[in-house]
Amino acid sequence: MEKLRIEDITKHYGKVTALDRVSLNVRSEEFLVVMGPSGCGKTTLLLILLGVLKADSGHLYLDGKIIDDLTVEDRNFGYVPQDFGLFPHMTAHDNIAFGLRVRNTPKDEVNRRVEELLSLVELQGIEQRKPAELSGGQRQRVALARALAIQPSLLLLDEPLSNVDEATKSEIRQRLKETVKLAGVTTVCVLHEPGDALVLGDRIAVMYAGKILQIGTVQNLLEEPESEIVTRLLASHLFRWGERASPDG
Amino acid sequence: MILFMVVSLFYLYVAVGRTWGLVVEALVSQPVVQAIIVSVSSSTLVGLIALAVVVPTAYVFTYKEFRFKGLLETLLVEFPQTFPPATVGLVYLLMLGPGSRINIAYTYPAVIVSKLYVATPFAMSFAIRRFREIHRSGLDTVARTLGCRTRHLLLWILLPLSAKDLAAGFSLTWARAMGEVAGTLIFAGAIPGLTETIPAVVLLTSSATPQLALAVSVIAAFLSIGALLFFKWIARER
Repeated sequence: MEKLRIEDITKHYGKVTALDRVSLNVRSEEFLVVMGPSGCGKTTLLLILLGVLKADSGHLYLDGKIIDDLTVEDRNFGYVPQDFGLFPHMTAHDNIAFGLRVRNTPKDEVNRRVEELLSLVELQGIEQRKPAELSGGQRQRVALARALAIQPSLLLLDEPLSNVDEATKSEIRQRLKETVKLAGVTTVCVLHEPGDALVLGDRIAVMYAGKILQIGTVQNLLEEPESEIVTRLLASHLFRWGERASPDG
Repeated sequence: MILFMVVSLFYLYVAVGRTWGLVVEALVSQPVVQAIIVSVSSSTLVGLIALAVVVPTAYVFTYKEFRFKGLLETLLVEFPQTFPPATVGLVYLLMLGPGSRINIAYTYPAVIVSKLYVATPFAMSFAIRRFREIHRSGLDTVARTLGCRTRHLLLWILLPLSAKDLAAGFSLTWARAMGEVAGTLIFAGAIPGLTETIPAVVLLTSSATPQLALAVSVIAAFLSIGALLFFKWIARER
């Protein structure tokens, strides 16, 4: 079932075209990765989805309803920015509880939800720590729990793995995917690293110079890349995939 | 600058050194005590009014786009810092003095009004700079995605994260207000116990009784340094 529809979105910054008639659908509970090199327009697309930027033309639909004019506050989209955006003056507990308190949720309910989310992201015991006292991976999980606390219609992740150590990255990547799947939330994740995109995405939209070049599952992309640019972006992974597909050579 | 300050304070110390008794005498004399009360109370009020004004203004300058925004910001932040305070006093005297519909000349409110224009830009520039930093960090966007509207954004994000900058802005505003003299003298005069401030006492006694002026200067210097250290202590890292 279709959750989000992006239809012919175009955005210009002066004479530069950041997004050129971008269209794609995201299915309910799907983890869609928008992957592309820096400057390809993926962050602009994310900001338009968030409601921070307005598209020059095109429309956004959520559950079939147009949401172009909904404000950031009214979209109910969970958002985890690249630097996680934790409020530095608040504890992990208060960060997670923030969206619930804004909605005047009763205190007991807030505490129950926070405990539930801390358990989901496996972070019990760090409630009273401030962001400066947490590791990169812990900060990411607190930010994820905070975004999930409001039971968002859509979860938007901006380069969620760019601020975690290489040593723990694959574990964090796996845990991120599992947590999002457990929460059952439709997710759009913006990434530049093909390796991360291939692990995280149920489907991947490859973006280049403001355009979506190809959308498909990992298998689709690796077996049938539709353009030279897609082939080049996935080059090292195509090689490994080829080896796996035909071990004899 | 530091050398100049140290030398000035040392010179003041030496100049008064032989007459410390006069400083103590000045400290307990009624006109000086009254001037201290007028100076400290009016500067504190100016600092508080400035904070009440700069928070919404900084919000508007950070989040709203409108025509002549840059010009308005220059008029509110940079211009008052370069505009001669005596001229400000004169303008107020014409606008709010004898003959105008609202006459507050030579009253305590006139002291506040005179100080406010020249001192507020310090708090204003701190608040605008900090609000813009927070905006650039994207924390406000995250808060908005969580359903946060303007009131909560101010109370839960902008004000707590700007507390130190607002405290610094308050203390500089306070210090500038303590030192303001020209505009205050023209618009509010120097009525003992009502509008006469410490700098006014220094100015008015410097030719007839220079030792008294020096003694009051020492009191003013200690008061300002003490207050600034106190504000710094309040805003310290905890």
